[in-house]
Amino acid sequence: MPASTAESSKAAPAGAAFTPELQMANMLGLCEAQMESALQESDRAVDALVQAFTCLVDTTRSVNSLTDQLPAEFRETVAVGLNQQVEAITKQMASAVVAFQFYDKLTQRLGHVRYSLSTLALFVCDRSQAASPDQWRRLMNTLRRLYRTEEEREIFQAMMDGISSEQQPGDATSTHKAVKAGEIELF
Amino acid sequence: MSGVILAVDDSASMRQMVRFTLEGAGYTVLQANDGVEALELARTSGADLVLTDVNMPRMDGLTLVRELRALDNYKFVPMLVLTTESGQDTKMRGKQAGATGWIVKPFNPEQLLATIARVL
Repeated sequence: MPASTAESSKAAPAGAAFTPELQMANMLGLCEAQMESALQESDRAVDALVQAFTCLVDTTRSVNSLTDQLPAEFRETVAVGLNQQVEAITKQMASAVVAFQFYDKLTQRLGHVRYSLSTLALFVCDRSQAASPDQWRRLMNTLRRLYRTEEEREIFQAMMDGISSEQQPGDATSTHKAVKAGEIELF
Repeated sequence: MSGVILAVDDSASMRQMVRFTLEGAGYTVLQANDGVEALELARTSGADLVLTDVNMPRMDGLTLVRELRALDNYKFVPMLVLTTESGQDTKMRGKQAGATGWIVKPFNPEQLLATIARVL
């Protein structure tokens, strides 16, 4: 976790002087804390799922290897059917391998959102900074550099161009994503 | 298929997905959590191919590629970058560092295996 994240997550002590900036920072800290808690919970669930998937992969490979060891008289009857089943499971597993990777991507993107929230919380607490358009531009540039995926950059650019998240064409973005994901380029 | 592949990613679930895919095709997989660990592992155990993420703590994937290319044993070893980053600038930095190719996550197991077979 970035240092600023931990700092901004701390709520202001009870009785601290009321300022709109402090309230805003507290609300941002709350959003970040909720996100962190949800991520930790889902990490545990996904870890369990990956472990279960590992067992499934190992079992399928064992079945496949046992099938190869069947005596010749069973090869044409039992082995053919078993091989077809193993092949079907293997195809499903390939789809699962792709799906699991989206969780990794989600975690990465939410990490960037959390960092953005904590950075913003610190930023708004400094009144002179928050009143300066140049400082806002600098902040936006810092956040832009944070984004690694094409989707994050597209959303950032759309928001900078004044298009709200509701106005963004979801289908067009999905099509673009499909083109980029899995893209391979050899140099 | 045979060969030793060094898979580097700070996400345990990603390393598992890579391992399933590669071991299923007959490769031996060495795993590292970041560039520092990978560099150490590469020095002590030989790898026929390196598959690395970009954004990792301690040492990123592009620095790892550059460091490995400086080692005599890894001058000609294929190094594929597997990352969520698809920006042209980062890709070019990867190419300059000495990467053999660039794969945008999420990878498709069949395509990954075909690419590895092609560069090995």
